[in-house]
Amino acid sequence: MIESATHRRLIIGGLALYGLLALVTLDIDLARIAEGLSRASAFFAGWLRPDFVTRWTDIRAGLLESLAMTAVATAVALLLSIPLGLAAARNLVPGPVYTAARGVLAVSRAFHEILVAILFVAMFGFGPFAGVVTLVVGSVGFLGKLLAEAVEEVDPAPLEALTAAGASWGSRVVFGVLPQIMPRMLGLALYRLDINFRESAVIGLVGAGGIGATLTTAFSRYEFESVSAILILIIGMVFGAEVVSGRLRQRFL
Amino acid sequence: MSEAQHPLRIQELVVRYGWGESVISGVSIALDPKEIVGLIGASGAGKSTLLRAVQRLVEPESGQIFLNGVELTGLPPRELRGARRRLGMIFQEHALIGRLSVMENVLAGTLGRTGFWRSVRRRFDPEDVQEAFGLLERVGLTGFEDSRCDELSGGEKQRVGIARALIQHPDVLLVDEPTASLDPATSVRIMSLITEICLERGLAALINLHDVPLARRFCPRIVGLLDGQVVFDGPASALDDAVLRRVYGDEAVGGDEILGH
Repeated sequence: MIESATHRRLIIGGLALYGLLALVTLDIDLARIAEGLSRASAFFAGWLRPDFVTRWTDIRAGLLESLAMTAVATAVALLLSIPLGLAAARNLVPGPVYTAARGVLAVSRAFHEILVAILFVAMFGFGPFAGVVTLVVGSVGFLGKLLAEAVEEVDPAPLEALTAAGASWGSRVVFGVLPQIMPRMLGLALYRLDINFRESAVIGLVGAGGIGATLTTAFSRYEFESVSAILILIIGMVFGAEVVSGRLRQRFL
Repeated sequence: MSEAQHPLRIQELVVRYGWGESVISGVSIALDPKEIVGLIGASGAGKSTLLRAVQRLVEPESGQIFLNGVELTGLPPRELRGARRRLGMIFQEHALIGRLSVMENVLAGTLGRTGFWRSVRRRFDPEDVQEAFGLLERVGLTGFEDSRCDELSGGEKQRVGIARALIQHPDVLLVDEPTASLDPATSVRIMSLITEICLERGLAALINLHDVPLARRFCPRIVGLLDGQVVFDGPASALDDAVLRRVYGDEAVGGDEILGH
């Protein structure tokens, strides 16, 4: 790759020196590592003995809340993102509308869900409502942007044919655009459903309800057995969602 | 002949994309009632652009287009939509919506007169639906009403495109390379269907064709386009080697290939 042998040696030497200096600044404390290892062994021991029973009522409530949050947020976000996605497609709308819609989408994707969740928990208080709003904001940014891209990629020929037939803007969208993006839309919505379920577990950590709240509680009580049970259930749920979305895809696409 | 007697008259039309050279440089063509005109020319000569400019899918820079005496150039959007309904367009590669049914694609031709909410709920005028059945029968697609368009063959798709253009109740048909993706036998069948329908309904038509033998066989009058200008306009019988050299350039005419002797 690098022709000159001198350059090669200089670069490798420089990288080695950098690595060494970086290692020195890390300030590795063996005592803390040892302490951490013992805590890790307690955690892994708990992991091997998942306890679904002791906190079952809490876990069940948390899971159901997460599922409800996920479903509501995805549905609301999909409804909001369809008009936004159309407005953010360069081939459908005039420049100013496009810029405005892209702006809204950019803002809703600007912050990580955790930050948004902290903001909404501060605004609406602890609980699933703040969580749902958080998920809606994130999903609208995600779905809107990807739908807009799907709209921009549609085959322009049928749209032109509808224009030539004297169809209005609305009819062109309904007949020429929506049928073409339907498979993508369904696929994206299912994918987002999946993401939202996982996100609902994460934003629960900052008080936005769902299984995440149950998980933090279990963690702070050092009930690693319950933590393990919750994690297993989350994996199971995500896996189940995968199976369901696969079935839906097969049927509708 | 007075203005109103030409179903379509194109006058000194100029089309330019951006700041570049003009693609159409002063084309004038007048169609007589029920006249079928074949537009030939090398790729890049501006055939498609000319048809698209007549529909104002591309805005012409200057010149005029008259549809039954009504000037299309300069019409405001609402009236333009109305005027577009009178111009039926059949597209290269058919331009159907693949995921919709044959029936829906034909009825899409009525969207110029069907309201938005009716179209969302697929509540089409029962008369239009009846007409669509009739047109599908005419183009030979009875029984295909509920098939999805992306399951049809190339020739069948083009038949759906023809029905979609006809349900608009057009005065003039603009046909852009209707046989571009079809095999020779299907091409002939599609061209006969288009010209038969024009005769039945008394429609004038402007048909882009890259295939000279087809143009010669189905279009009594031929217009040759070179670099956005009309270099030939006359009866198909006057289409000889000299004319083809003018339209396609010297080296392209070895005789047999383009002429199909």
